[in-house]
Order: sequence, then C-alpha cells, then structure tokens
Amino acid sequence: MKKRILVACGAGIATSTVVCNRVEKLVKDNNVDAEVIQCKIAEVKAKQKGADLIISTTILPTTYEIPAIIATSYITGIAMESLDKKILDALK
Amino acid sequence: MSIEQFLNDDLIKLNLSCKDQNDLFEVMYKEAFSKGMVDELFLTKIKERESVFPTGLNLNKFSVAIPHTDPQYVKEQFIAVVTLENPVKFHLMDDASQETDVSVIFMLGLNQPHQQIETLQQLMAIMQDTSNIEKLLAATNSEEVHSIFKQIEASV
Repeated sequence: MKKRILVACGAGIATSTVVCNRVEKLVKDNNVDAEVIQCKIAEVKAKQKGADLIISTTILPTTYEIPAIIATSYITGIAMESLDKKILDALK
Repeated sequence: MSIEQFLNDDLIKLNLSCKDQNDLFEVMYKEAFSKGMVDELFLTKIKERESVFPTGLNLNKFSVAIPHTDPQYVKEQFIAVVTLENPVKFHLMDDASQETDVSVIFMLGLNQPHQQIETLQQLMAIMQDTSNIEKLLAATNSEEVHSIFKQIEASV
C-alpha cells in the first residue's frame, strides 16, 4: 500500500523544502511506494489521519497518533545515513 | 538564482556586538526595514517564530542559527550573514529544552518557498563544511563573505 509521509517545519518555508527533496529521493532510491507531502507543523495534527509518518525539522509541539521523526540531521549533515535508515525502518 | 545574489552588503555584519538574541534581531530588522526589504511586522514575527520553533543548529565544531519567518513579511529576498563578537544563546531546532552558543547567523528572508530548494541546499553545503564557518568567523569584510558563497555555487 502506498505510504503517506508528512514533512513539516515551523514556518513551512525554509527547512522542510530541503528535507522534502531528500525524503523523496530516499524513498525512490529504495523502491518504497510513498507520497511525500510538505506542510507546516501546525497542520500536521489535522493531516495525520491517513498518513503513516511525520518527518519534522523542528520540535514537535504536541504528540501524534502516528510515528514522528525529527530530521535536523539533513540540515546539519551530521548522521544523515542513520536518519535515512530510521525513516526507512519506520516505513516497513 | 545563485545563492550569492541573496547577499546584500548592508545585511552582512561581521564581528557584531550584541547582548542577546533580541538585540541581534532588532539590529538586523532595522537594517532590512530601512532598505524596504521587510515589512514592519517582521521583527515581531521572527521573534515569535524563534520562541516557538527555535533555529539553533549544532554543527560539528560550531553552532549556527537560521532564524526566519513566514514569507509574507519579506518584501525583497535576502540572506543576512552575521558573525558575532561574543556568541549569543539560541535554543536548538530539534530540542527546545537545550541552548547553544551561536557565533554565526544566517537570517533567511525568503518568500518563494517552492522555488528555493537549490539556494537552501547551497546554504546547507556552506554550513556543513567547518572550514567555511571558520572562514566566515575570520572574515573582516563583505567581499570575503561573497567569495565563500561564490565558491559554493561553483562546487554544488
């Protein structure tokens, strides 16, 4: 079944764009059938229904019903590979 | 559009003396507002954004921050580059309960969220290379900042 991934950042402007691109490439390279949706963290609560995973570049202001991963590594470049693995594992 | 074109000499401040984060935001806002690059709500909004969703990032050796706010408060796009005489505290982007001492700030005035992926990737390439941060900290004039940004453009 197609997975839905929400990629969120605080203002929906800067950081999520980069992470979105990275996650799209990650799922494609690993043959995961997934749709990547960019949004603001404030919209996640309403959008989580029907989604499988939240990937956020910022702190999570609340708790969610689906798994959430913080992806600051994609911005700093530190430990990017282990983050790749964490995301892929969460989609299994 | 190359990342270097987002630099504006009035928004490059080297070895700036600031007492705290708000002081820094105020100095940069005044400069950007006087050039007509942001609207009058920008200062309030960037402070709000930073308090709810902080932007401090721990890199390998240094910490940087990338404060920004929603696109509607930015009239003309820019990337402001600030190095500080003495670091100021920022909360971490991935853990607001922690603080870090930041000496290099890239304030992002961007208003085309879906057209700037290349620019942001170039900025991240700059941040991810410790030698660039060292060069920025050592820079004494805006020409040196331009050359760091130019060199990234050539390599990404």
